Parts: sequence; C-alpha cells; structure tokens
Amino acid sequence: MQGLYVHIPFCVRKCYYCDFYSEGGKLHLLDDYLKALLTEAEQYRGLTFDTLYIGGGTPSILGAAALEQMMRGLSGCLGLSDLEEATIEANPDTASSEFLRAAAASGISRLSIGVQSLNDDELTRSGRLHNATQALKAIDMASGCGFDDISADIIVGLPGQTTKSLENTLCSLSHSAVTHISAYCLSIEQGTEFARHPPSGLTTDEEQAELFELAARYLKENGFVHYEISNFALPGRECRHNLNYWRGGEYLGLGPGAASHLRGRRFKNAPDLQKYIVGPLADECESETLDVESKLAEEAMLRLRLLEEGLDIAELEERYGRNNVGRLLARLTKLTDAGMLVREGKRYRLPPAMVMVSNRVFTEIIN
Amino acid sequence: MNNLRNFCIIAHIDHGKSTLADRILELTGMVRKTSMDQMLDSMDLERERGITIKAKSVRIPYKAGDGGEYILNLIDTPGHVDFNYEVSRSLMACEGAVLLVDATQGVEAQTIANANLALDAGLKIIPAINKIDLPGAMVDDCCLQLYSMLGLSIEDILLVSAKDGTGVIELLEAVVARVPPPSGSADTPLKCLIFDSFYDAYRGVIPHLRIFTGSLKAGDKILIKSTEKIYEVEEVGYFSLGLAQCPMLQAGEVGYAVALIRNAGEIHVGDTVVSSDHPEELAIPGFRMAQSMVYCGVYPIVTSEYGKLGAALEKFKLNDSSIVFEKENSAALGYGYRMGFLGMLHMEIALERLRREYEQDIIATMPSVIYKVFCKNGDILMLDNPSKFPPEGNIGHIEEPIIRTRIIVPSAHIGPCMELADAKRGTLVGIEHPDDRRAILIYDLPLADMITDFYDRLKSVSRGYASMDYELNGYRVGDLVKVDIIVNNGIVDALSYIAPKEGATARGRALIHKLSKTIPKHLFKIPLQAAIGAQVIAREDIFPMRKDVLAKCYGGDITRKRKLLEKQKEGKKKMKMVGFVEVPQEAFLSLMKIED
Repeated sequence: MQGLYVHIPFCVRKCYYCDFYSEGGKLHLLDDYLKALLTEAEQYRGLTFDTLYIGGGTPSILGAAALEQMMRGLSGCLGLSDLEEATIEANPDTASSEFLRAAAASGISRLSIGVQSLNDDELTRSGRLHNATQALKAIDMASGCGFDDISADIIVGLPGQTTKSLENTLCSLSHSAVTHISAYCLSIEQGTEFARHPPSGLTTDEEQAELFELAARYLKENGFVHYEISNFALPGRECRHNLNYWRGGEYLGLGPGAASHLRGRRFKNAPDLQKYIVGPLADECESETLDVESKLAEEAMLRLRLLEEGLDIAELEERYGRNNVGRLLARLTKLTDAGMLVREGKRYRLPPAMVMVSNRVFTEIIN
Repeated sequence: MNNLRNFCIIAHIDHGKSTLADRILELTGMVRKTSMDQMLDSMDLERERGITIKAKSVRIPYKAGDGGEYILNLIDTPGHVDFNYEVSRSLMACEGAVLLVDATQGVEAQTIANANLALDAGLKIIPAINKIDLPGAMVDDCCLQLYSMLGLSIEDILLVSAKDGTGVIELLEAVVARVPPPSGSADTPLKCLIFDSFYDAYRGVIPHLRIFTGSLKAGDKILIKSTEKIYEVEEVGYFSLGLAQCPMLQAGEVGYAVALIRNAGEIHVGDTVVSSDHPEELAIPGFRMAQSMVYCGVYPIVTSEYGKLGAALEKFKLNDSSIVFEKENSAALGYGYRMGFLGMLHMEIALERLRREYEQDIIATMPSVIYKVFCKNGDILMLDNPSKFPPEGNIGHIEEPIIRTRIIVPSAHIGPCMELADAKRGTLVGIEHPDDRRAILIYDLPLADMITDFYDRLKSVSRGYASMDYELNGYRVGDLVKVDIIVNNGIVDALSYIAPKEGATARGRALIHKLSKTIPKHLFKIPLQAAIGAQVIAREDIFPMRKDVLAKCYGGDITRKRKLLEKQKEGKKKMKMVGFVEVPQEAFLSLMKIED
C-alpha cells in the first residue's frame, strides 16, 4: 500500500484557527506552482500509488481547468491508473459545480468538504468564508455530480459553540449525503489569528471533552463507526488514504510543507511556497530514519488510534521479529493492567474512555 | 618571622572582597593583569552567586615602601552567615583583618558580625571603605558608622577602590605597618590549626594549616587532637596560586600538609594538629564539629538509582565535609538520604552542586530544623524529620531552635520589618540606633520561620535595604503541631511539616491550594487534604484530566506528532511517583512559597 499526497498551499484567506501551511491571496503564483509540482513529481517517475489525496490549503481554489491540468501532469509521470481511492478537499465557497464535475472526470472519487459547523455565527467568528446554507448546498452538489463518498470536517469547541448548536450541525449532516465525518477538537496553535487575538467564548478543556463525547455518541446512534480518534464513517466508508498513515504505511508527499514516508525514511519539504517554486528539489527540511525499536513504538502509537482495528501484536511480531517486540509488549501489558488499554487475544485497543486523553497512553508507548 | 603578616579580608556580602583580593594579587605581581576576575573563587557556583564558599589562601611576597621584603599570607574567608564557624576559625589563623565596607551601602549586619568575630579573636582591624570611585559613595557616612557602630578610629580608615586599584598599595602598607608579626617559637613542640581542607583524588584530604609553634616537614608524624589519629607527613608546602612544595613550615607560617588522609571525616576545620611525639600538647580552644542547622530528605527521582545517589554523596562529602547524610526511608518516596547543612544557603548550594556536578536527578523535601520533643513517658527525642514525630497523644511538649538575629534597616523601613518579624513569631530583644538614619533590630526568632522565606521577605519589605545576621540562641518551647498532607488518600510523609498551632488551618489551606496548582492533572480525581492527627483542616480536589489528545493526526506529518509526545514525556521524567500520583519537585517546596 502506497499513498500520494499533493499539497495545494493556497487559500482565499487564512481561517483564524488554521496552522497548516498555506498562503492567502497569492493565487497569481498558481501556474508557477503547478510547474514546480510537476518537476518534483518527475523525480519519482515510475512509482505507482494506491491512493491519492489532494489536500491544502484549499484545493478547490484551483478551479476546473487547473485541476485537470495538474491531474494530467501527475498521471503522466506517476502510476495513478489503479487508484483505489482519490480524494480532494473542497471548501463550500469555492466548490462550484463546474469544479466538481471536472474533479469527477479526472478520476477523483471522494470529496472532503470543509464544513466546520452549520452555525453561521460560529463560522463567522472562525474566519470561514461560507455560511451553513452554502455548505449544505455543496454537499448536495457533490452528490449530484456523482460522488458517493463525501466527507465533512467539523470542529468541536469553536468559539460560541454549545451542545445545542453542535447537535444541530450533526443532525443536519447525518441527514445529508455525507458518509464520513472528521471531528477535530479546536486547539489554539502558535502563529494563528486565534493565538494573536484570543477569541471570546472559547470552551474549557472539560467542556470540549463533553462536546466531543456528545458528538461521538450522536454519530454512533446514527450509524457512524468511530474508527479513528477523530474520524467517523458509515460502514465501509473509511478513508483508505488516511488508514495507510495510521497503519504506519508509506506515502509520498508533494508540495511545500508536505511530509513523506518512503523506504523507511520520514522527510518533509520546507513550508515555503516561494522557495519551492524556485527550487522544488532542494526543499527537504527534515529527515529521519528510525531504529527498529522507535519504529515499532511509532507504529503502535499510530495503530492504537484506530479504535476498532487496534494493534495486532502477532502481526507486528511477524514483521519485526519476536525479540524486537518484547519491550513494547511489556509496556502494552502494563497499560492494559492499568485499564488504559483493552486486550482481546493478541489485539490491543484504546477504550472509549481513553480517547480524549490518549496522549497519556501514547507517551507511555513511545521510547 | 618578623617579616610575616597573616591577614584576611572580612566584609558583608557583595562589598567587594573578591575584587580586592584580585587587585592585591595583580599589584603584587602574583598574576598578570587580566580580564579573568576573582582568582580566589574557583567554583562556578561561587562566581554565579558571588559568594566565596570555601576559605582559601595565598602567599604573596611583597616589597614594602620601607625597603623591607615581606611575606603576606592572604587568607580568604567565607562571606555568609551560614559559614560563621568557618569564618571564626579562618580568623584564628590571622593576626589582622581588613574590614571592607561598600561606600554606597555602609556598615551592614554581616560587617558587624564579622568585625565582632575578628575582635573576639584578638585581631588587629584595618577598616577600609571600598568603591569610593562610585557616584553614590558616602564616605563620610561610612566613617561615622565605623566609629559609632564598631568603635573604630576615623583616622585609621583607608579609602580604596578595589576596582581601579586606588589605595590598594596604601592598604598593603597598612597591613605591614599595623598587623603584628606572628609570635610563637619554632623551637617548641608543634601546634597548628586546621582552618580549611580540600580533597585530591590521588593524595587524599589535604588540610590547610596555620603553624603556631614548632615546625613541620616531610617524615614528621602528626596527631590530630579530636580523633587522636596519627599520620605521617609526606609533603609540606604553601599556597602560591597552586600548591608550592617547600622543605619545612615554621611557626607563624600558613601552608598545607599531605599525609595520605583518606577519609574527609577525619579532618575538621578548627581542629588542632600536634606532633605524635608530644601528644600532651593542648588543643587550641574553641573547636567544635560543624553543626548542621537545617535538614532535608533527598531522594532519587528513579527509585532504583538510590545506590548511585549514595555513591555521589560519599564523593561530595570528600569535597565538602560540612554536609552530613544518613540513609532514610520514606513510605511515600522510597529509599533516600537525610542531609544536614550549615544553613539555607549551604543547602541550596549543596543541592545544586549535587544536581550539576554529580549529575543526580533528585527530589529534595521541605527543609526542617531539629526539634526537641519531650514525650510523656520521659523520653527526649531530637528529631530533624517531621515524619519521625511520635503520635500527638504521646507528646508532652516540643521545643524548637531559636536564633538571635540583628537586622540593620534604614529608619523608613522599620515598621514593615518589625511587622514581618512579629508575623514570624519573633520576640523583640532590643532596638539600637547607631545613627539617625538606621536602626538595628535585635530579635529572637524560631529558626524554622527563618529558613522558610524570612530573608527574601525581609529584603522585599525593606526594598532591598535591610541586612541581617544570625546565630543560634538555644531552644524555646513552641506551641507546635505536626501537619500531615494526604494525597490521593495516603499520607505523604515527605510533605509532613511542623507548624505553630495558631494559624495552622489557614496555612494548611493555603498549602493545599498551592499543591492543587502544582501537581498536574491525572486521569483520576486526586483528593488533597491537610490534617492534624485525625482532624482534616483543609481539602481540595484535583479534577481528572479530560482532554489530552492530538486530534489532527493526518496530513502525514507523523514526526512532528511524535516529537510533541516525546516532549510531554520528558516533562514526566522530572516528576516523582508517589503512589499513583506524579509529583513535581516544586510541590515539595510549596510550603516555602506561601505568603502569609
């Protein structure tokens, strides 16, 4: 299993909470960027991929023509003909029907829409450029364009959010064509607008935990499986590209700020659009190759995020050798004894009560 | 011997003692003028804190204005009240003392304390006012203070600037002219004073000696009076900037002896060395073992490193013989050591050195004094650890150590200083007014209150102007109770403390509140209680951690996520497991940080 991630580092404007790498208002660099992207992709000519994920930033900002151009270019040098899944992210304000049709025609099978909330006040206060009506309309349009797999991102703990407003958002989404929901807890990250100007109406950690657990309950009652810490899907509609991350799999990331995991090495491009355009091949800013023990611990930490699938220690022993797994196993046993993990045969899982405090478990697992 | 002068410099902290020593070494050609300052302070920590911890000395050849060739032995003394005894023994090795006063600060508490020690030892005092180059210098005021507070003649006072060298040669001339040469015959049996020592990994403990009578050379057999142990001298010498071997040390001289003394515990500052041929020679009066005033528990953060901590303490003791330690077992913290120190500053420095130089990850518990517990069955227990106290019902009464402190304070700040001393259970013994701008407050104060935050608070209520000095002044009955701290339903013995009954509840509440902010949230609720016997006097809960999650683990940047977790894990490593609760070092010292 090998994934391809393509980063589109453009936005109309940065949202107040966002710390992903993207540039607001630099669309004039789009053509140069696409050229640089293909230069970087050329480096990996011949590699074939099972999943594709176009994320951002705001990929829907590309528009139909640029998207088609980019997809043609990538398919020209990378093996994308047997994709099991191809996702693109879209924001309600830029996802035109023309764009959605072009995406479908380019082989994109899955749409991830940045809904965030269906409460207009919450959306405004977070710096979103769309309202609830536009978000629901985008979902309908996507469905109308033939997308069967539609995911919605929502944020738990937005300024002004209440149990009631969150429930309303969830209710509308579960009655829409959405088949997958990613629910992220708001955290105030350095360098964001929220960090510079802390908003009023923020929730406490306790309130946020309550809200998240409410969301998890609600979605479960409506047929969604809580398959990863922040992700819910109708049966069979999990995101395969992301599943590959959580299973410790390999992937190539293209674009500034994109991370890769290839041939055992993790590396990352510098988050700098200008530099990337000038020299897309000289952009690596971090790299590491983990030893077996750290690799194991990392994979355990990632796999335990998968609440249903969990961590199969027998499978790890097969791949890494029984001797190498010993120390990890001892830690898992200790955590199980403390009630922080549950065990079923050779499979370990994070119990529901530990989801919101899972870092406490993971810090015990890493070296 | 007539050309020998043994002298020291005494001063309040920061009045420029080390700078003056540097300048003397420079102007006499011992060292070239360099930017490297303060030759006599060699430990990093000393430099950082500006305090000379261990006494050292240096022999300086000096050609005086009268054409005579002299040997000056400059003996450095510790400058802090914790080391009073060491100061007094260093003084005994001298015939004269330069009393240095900062012209911008005037006479302060330790100026007086040190001057009195020097007068008691019969030393000739040469008063000198330093930092006269500074714009804020108040030379006339300082002269008047030296006269009124210490009875020194104004015409004897020298004016110097250690920084730019002004008056330093005149000062050395005064040392030659005014300090008497040592008396004592080289032909009578050996008698010398140990005024310091240090440890050399190859040659063992090397005592610093002042020879009063007789002589000492390699091959001589010496006897140490307090231990009656005999050693053969392998080498003698004096202190240049390092050790300088010489054939013989004679009456009046200062130097060192190497005698393969393996155990630092056998050499005590203030002890007397005589010849083993003349064991009947009397000891120099006034010797006592260094006395610990403050104790605390020291535990490895990782319980299994108890053995390593013990080894580090053994090594440390060779270097600083004034620390004491013994094994201790805490129900909450496991195996560790009880350490004793000369005072709070000594404790802080020693613990810091243990962490830095000896690389020990340790938790130190609240410092305690030695209480005298009179039990109903007639037993009298000397207890330095609150957790060892008998049940309250078995205790008749408790006595606690008292200090007499002299606080020098500008008149404008007398009120707040007296309020502070009253709040700390002080008894006013007297007020002196050496001049119209300053007062000396003399208080008897429980040592236990002194060691928490008295000095810091005094500095803050007087805006930095008050200075103090103290000495132990016996024991006094105190209306005291033992307060236990209960964390997650178990008593944490290392957090127990002794407190005055009056105000115990308010203090207990404040401490519990402080602990609730210091101990991090856990996955379960942690009840915190303070109790006197079975009676709970304060309670707060630490509510469980509800959110600690990396939500956005996508986008593939796994490395960053892992590093965040690693950082979180590093923080945990600095905490001590007490039952199921991770307790950070600060929690053990919370009591010291409570405002009344």
